[in-house]
Amino acid sequence: MTDHGVLAPLKTWSHLATRRRKPSEYEIVSTNLLYNTRPGTAPYELDPDVFMNRWYREHRDGSGLQHSDWNAFRDPDELVYRTYTMLQDGQETYVFGLFDQFDEREHDEALDPAWVQDLAVVYTPARYLFHTLQMASAYLQQMSPASTITNCAAFQAADSMRWLSHVAYRTKELSLTYPEVGFGSGERTHWETNPAWQGFRELMERVLTTWDWTEAFVALNLVAKPAVEEAVLRQLGNTARHQGDMLLGMLTDADLIDADRHRRWAGTLVKMVSDDPANVAQLQQWVALWEPRADAAIDAFCAALPDSPDAGALAKAATREVRRTLGV
Amino acid sequence: MATLERLEWYDIARSTNWTPTYVTEDELFPPELSGAEGLPMTAWEAYDEPYKQTFPEYVKVQREKDAGAYSVKAALERSNMYANADPGWISVMKAHYGAIARGEYSASTAEARMARFGKAPGMRNMATLGMMDEIRHGQIQLFFPHELCPKDRQFDWAHKAFDTDEWGIIAARHLFDDMFTTRDAVGVALMLTFAFETGFTNMQFLGLAADAAQVGDWTFSSLISSIQTDESRHAQIGGPLVTVLVENGRKDEAQRLVDVGIWRAWRLFSVLTGPIMDYYTPLDHRKQSFKEFMQEWIVAQFERALLDLGLERPWYWDEFMHQIDTQHHGQHLGVWFWRPTVWWNPAAGVSPEERDWLEEKYPGWNATWGTCWDVITDNLLDGKVELTYPETLPVVCNMCQLPINTTPGPAWQVRDFPLEHEGRVYHFCSEPCRWVFEIEPSRYAGHLSLIDRFLAGMIQPMDLSGGLQYMGLAPGEIGDDAHAYAWVDKVRAARERRAS
Repeated sequence: MTDHGVLAPLKTWSHLATRRRKPSEYEIVSTNLLYNTRPGTAPYELDPDVFMNRWYREHRDGSGLQHSDWNAFRDPDELVYRTYTMLQDGQETYVFGLFDQFDEREHDEALDPAWVQDLAVVYTPARYLFHTLQMASAYLQQMSPASTITNCAAFQAADSMRWLSHVAYRTKELSLTYPEVGFGSGERTHWETNPAWQGFRELMERVLTTWDWTEAFVALNLVAKPAVEEAVLRQLGNTARHQGDMLLGMLTDADLIDADRHRRWAGTLVKMVSDDPANVAQLQQWVALWEPRADAAIDAFCAALPDSPDAGALAKAATREVRRTLGV
Repeated sequence: MATLERLEWYDIARSTNWTPTYVTEDELFPPELSGAEGLPMTAWEAYDEPYKQTFPEYVKVQREKDAGAYSVKAALERSNMYANADPGWISVMKAHYGAIARGEYSASTAEARMARFGKAPGMRNMATLGMMDEIRHGQIQLFFPHELCPKDRQFDWAHKAFDTDEWGIIAARHLFDDMFTTRDAVGVALMLTFAFETGFTNMQFLGLAADAAQVGDWTFSSLISSIQTDESRHAQIGGPLVTVLVENGRKDEAQRLVDVGIWRAWRLFSVLTGPIMDYYTPLDHRKQSFKEFMQEWIVAQFERALLDLGLERPWYWDEFMHQIDTQHHGQHLGVWFWRPTVWWNPAAGVSPEERDWLEEKYPGWNATWGTCWDVITDNLLDGKVELTYPETLPVVCNMCQLPINTTPGPAWQVRDFPLEHEGRVYHFCSEPCRWVFEIEPSRYAGHLSLIDRFLAGMIQPMDLSGGLQYMGLAPGEIGDDAHAYAWVDKVRAARERRAS
């Protein structure tokens, strides 16, 4: 303010100007971007009781976990769109380099025939599973009450599409070498009926129909995703290596880099809400509700991994370790 | 290279529909959120997006685009573009960033709705990329104006605008929320991507990119051209959806959503883009008039797109054609007259040579809009600037939230289009705005326009100062004439020349 009551220019946005340090690019372009959280107003500038206003009031504002300032959330990786595409372009260059090199040395031709049959059951149907992660993350994106959370969920949705793309790519490659095995045609049936997948399908159908946004976050990021990642990425990757399928092992490792990042933002959000004991109790209650479903999914899936008797136990233990490090 | 071509595996990546059994299809895709018009998932699997892109292609192309736009910005940071720019052009940037940046960010929410609730799997993937695009557009259009904050407090509004109840922002939110954020997946696809993006962002972005290049603002020009390349990809989400709807006997539903979308988008662009193109952009840099641009991009191209997809021209087409000739002149006059209520400095754009241009592009302008500007101009020539400020508020439309106005002059016939609904009288600017309300009153009935709030005593004190306070505008932010009335001197000189 100048002497005449005229607002003077600021060095940054007025909502960041009271802080003493120069804002980062992340803060400039990521913070306080949602306008559907303005106090005292309906989320959206229409009839206060239009369906979507009721939906947001009930499932977002009335959600099980509460916080007085969701906008205080910061992504520990401080990713912005510009750095996300740089990061993932680099990662994709690596993955497509793998595809290229392994194809050159005729990797698929050298696979054990029994393992090829297994891949059609325990690997290529995973595109359906990864797509459910994409859809569930897109729900978090539209429901979370701060743009800094919204962005993490959006990047997570895009990463899930990345995982699904890797599966789709490999499905096509395998179908070219093994046209008789059902690659590219049998996945939907396996996803819908094979016992290996029914636990994950049930888990994800239930996650996808969980509308309370913080329960959806807990179910997805604290329970379902760790289960998917530990079983369908890590244990599958381990099994693949033991079967001589080094490409799949390296591919799942590459995808797990994204999973680690998702865990970092999820953990930061858990830490933020854990100041309130009521939130901690609610978190624990939800984890207790969802964990058995995830365990059943892991067991069913890992039982189908050849020569991997410990996979299920290892995956379940790993999900608990994930939750422990995330503070749950 | 021994890697597969993208189209070899593309179809597998978009074959992701399955039959849920632990929950029902309607639980997985609630009709209020998916808007599938009662069509089952199988019907939506025929959906085929014309613009196909894979994840690895997306991150590569987008990384390169950002590298381009940000490097142009960095290279020009030390240029004197800003210092030398015409104040009218600075106002273009302020209006654009404030009205657009966070609005685009909110469109990521709508894209996410399609990514989650669309029943067509190809649409869910394309919308995932669309969601990312809109985050880009929000972020890049905040990063660029942020560096201008120290130069002028009005640039704070690139971020701040959407937190306020400034009248233009109420109108923008009402539009974005009606077309994007509160719609189901099908509604988003038809209204955001088809009506809004295919139809109108072409205009705002291509039109402004052309004007920016003319002005020499290469940073802005490259920025918005880059954004437009994303829009032209994800705008194509809606088209094939129309095909699915038409082929399954839902043409009327598709037509209605598209008609609502086109009309609502038009109203906002008449106040945002019209004044920018015909009044703010310096005369020697104007490439086309707003009307010419509308005729080329909307009338010719968009109309063809509609017909190609098996839809009809909206029923209000004649009214629309009439308005592209007239409506933005009234909006401009209103914005300039109520200039303290906006976060930029409107350029009057009515010096003698500018009026000649307006008369040429819009024959009859001097006899109509010109007569209002004559009064303003005479008052300014007489030093009675106080008479050029408003004392009252305009009646705004209960749909588009913009001042109700028609062409002044001999044929002046201002009228509103009222509607009584459940004991309340609503006022609309036009038949189409009233029609939008009548289709689904429950979407709109409980909303209060700025004027409704004023009359309800929610704005105190009930004068301009109270209004400005309500709108979040303080001295240092409030608008004034962009050129500090320098254009009045040109009028004076012209009149003196004529007199001598």
